[in-house]
Amino acid sequence: MKVKILRQQAPDTEPYWETFSYDGPQDNTVAGILDYLNYNDDITDINGNKTSRIGWECSCLQGMCGGCAMVINDEPSLACETFLRDLESSELIIQPLKKFPVVHDLVVDRSVIHENLMKSDIFIGEFIPSGVKDNEHQYSLAKCLKCGLCLEVCPNYVNGKTFFGALFANDCYLVTARNNARRKEIKKAYNEHFGKDCSKSLSCMDICPMKIQTIASIAKMNKI
Amino acid sequence: MKKVLIIGSGISGLSCAIKCAENGVYALLISPFPSERSQSVMAAGGINAVLSDCDNGDSVECHIEDTLKGGSYLGGKKSVSGLCSRGEEIIKYLERIGTVFSTDSSGRPIRRAFGGQSHKRTCFCGSSTGKQIVSALIMEARRYEAKGLIKRRLWSDFHSALIHDGRCFGALLFGEGTGRLEAVYADAVVIAAGGQNSVFGKTTGSTQCDGYVSGKLFMQGVELKNLEFIQYHPTTIETPQKKMLISEAVRGEGGRLFYNENGRRVYFLEDKYGSRGNLMTRDVLSREIAAAKKEVFLDISFLEKKEIDRRLPEVRDICKKYRGIDISAEAIPVSPSVHFFMGGIAVHMNHETNIKNLFAVGECASMYHGANRLGGNSLLAAIYSGWVAAEDIAGKESSGKAENFTETEEKENAALKSRMTTKSNFPVMYIRDMLAGTMCSKLGIVRDEATLGEGLADIDYYLSVAEKINYDASVLPYFNYSLTGILTLSKAIITCAVNRKESRGAHFRSDHPESRDELCYSSIISYNNGSFSFRLDKEHEYES
Repeated sequence: MKVKILRQQAPDTEPYWETFSYDGPQDNTVAGILDYLNYNDDITDINGNKTSRIGWECSCLQGMCGGCAMVINDEPSLACETFLRDLESSELIIQPLKKFPVVHDLVVDRSVIHENLMKSDIFIGEFIPSGVKDNEHQYSLAKCLKCGLCLEVCPNYVNGKTFFGALFANDCYLVTARNNARRKEIKKAYNEHFGKDCSKSLSCMDICPMKIQTIASIAKMNKI
Repeated sequence: MKKVLIIGSGISGLSCAIKCAENGVYALLISPFPSERSQSVMAAGGINAVLSDCDNGDSVECHIEDTLKGGSYLGGKKSVSGLCSRGEEIIKYLERIGTVFSTDSSGRPIRRAFGGQSHKRTCFCGSSTGKQIVSALIMEARRYEAKGLIKRRLWSDFHSALIHDGRCFGALLFGEGTGRLEAVYADAVVIAAGGQNSVFGKTTGSTQCDGYVSGKLFMQGVELKNLEFIQYHPTTIETPQKKMLISEAVRGEGGRLFYNENGRRVYFLEDKYGSRGNLMTRDVLSREIAAAKKEVFLDISFLEKKEIDRRLPEVRDICKKYRGIDISAEAIPVSPSVHFFMGGIAVHMNHETNIKNLFAVGECASMYHGANRLGGNSLLAAIYSGWVAAEDIAGKESSGKAENFTETEEKENAALKSRMTTKSNFPVMYIRDMLAGTMCSKLGIVRDEATLGEGLADIDYYLSVAEKINYDASVLPYFNYSLTGILTLSKAIITCAVNRKESRGAHFRSDHPESRDELCYSSIISYNNGSFSFRLDKEHEYES
């Protein structure tokens, strides 16, 4: 199988395509394929030319940490959860997430996610229940990986300068649900950085590896 | 203002940073990636605490006794008492900062049964307790980040500690962006780098936890403790990618282990140990499963589907996604796998090492779990140890003494540069893979002197070539400079296993199958210029 990867040596260098040949196990995930290409043998491109090892980020290898988010055959996904058997193409094309600066190859800098949450004071502080009985929704919100997939597919998210995206909206609701006293100030930040610009495409919900129901968070925030 | 450098941003590192900030101490939190990528998010089952509305007959004393007994009485009584007595305070704290616990209709945390415990005292958040706690702690840390009391530095890797005359002054950090080592000074350094999973290859844990920090500190004079005690989790599922944990929560909810024989199910643990057979401690279960020499299954399909969906959704998803198994209809094939390290950096009760101002917390420190850890005690210890270290640091007078390590910084930068200018592309991962093969095959659930000796010989060979090979300049320099530390730690682990000539907890020697009272002490290993020195802590010097 041909594996085409968009590579970039450093943040300030030009990206370029490199193609590899994969002949490993067919029940593998894309994460497994990257590992196989990197360390099954000396790494060469499809023409047998020696090349450098492919940079990518991983930690848990089982869909719990969000490290390996990348664009796989045009679909933003977690590499450790994307199985070869489910791909409809005979060719695998892998690119880094496009809405974040590239650090190296498939590794991107997603620190804007945390910075936006920090500068908007998105923290619970003290548990003062709102009285809404939706523990299951709150549980699912706290499972957000901050992987950035929801931002990657969002038609409204550009670079995080003003619009902060679905993960921000979900964290806003989690804070209001867990600390009733902060409802008003959080609602203000929510309106400013999400509510007023979200066009409700809801592509964020289809892509979310944790299946977080952002629309439920939006509906609940609208009631505040 | 006092400054603390914390290496690692999982639950113990975050807890320590927050407690420092609460006490007006500035915390610099170092990690290559954000806390969401830490191994802590993978902790599934729960966190133990005796709450005021506990089971009839339960008490903090019972929790202490269960912990000591589960650890074959190697955990120190004073330190374990400290841990268990703050259980309720820790749960209340986690509730206060907004952790989404699984609760009953009155909002109280539900508790489930866990292995080796006399009462139900494991609070939980579905089967993603670690992740839920991490999310709450990240939010709380963010509050202090906004105030400037906590600062995160990402894309940074530990290189070495700045130690002079038995005292730590900071650490040399590698900046992945700058490509350089930088000396960062602090009043205290806290190591919260996790266990050494990846010396065994792909285990249930994170690929990021490789033991380098412990290995390097060992080479710099820090003593390590109880390294031979490695917990094999009895129930993991094999996938093409790695072995994945099937949480103890499944057995806590009534899950039964069996194998098939002559067309019928044999519930071999219940046959041998009675009704609580499936909830024996992890060391016992792992040995029993290995001894069965048959494919073993874990059945929870008798539980109503809606209960599985409510209480075990993550286990349901892992089995479905990676193996196509519907746990509400069929049993899960399971086998033991390396999961947790009871051993690690030796620390005193304040979590300070034998080097002044150098602390270790969380899984990389060895303190409470003795020869075997009870499920639900690691999350408790991660938070507790972070607090203890922070409180000690906050309460101490700053020495005000400064040392200059500019020369060390320059020397190490030059060494790194010369290593990285190589044209070779020999990947250090080849040796890491060979090491994992050695560790898995020579340091299994059942050990003996001859096999351990083969392991030592393998590692000695890897060490003999480690400094001679030309490294791959196309991977992160961290992978290259970390190899010797990782190999040295691995050698120390096997050395401890060779020297403990008895069976206790997770350390089972087929050539010494009995426990020996005269060996009921923690083991300590130290390093001096390439030589290893092993002793038993008969004076309980670290229980102080």
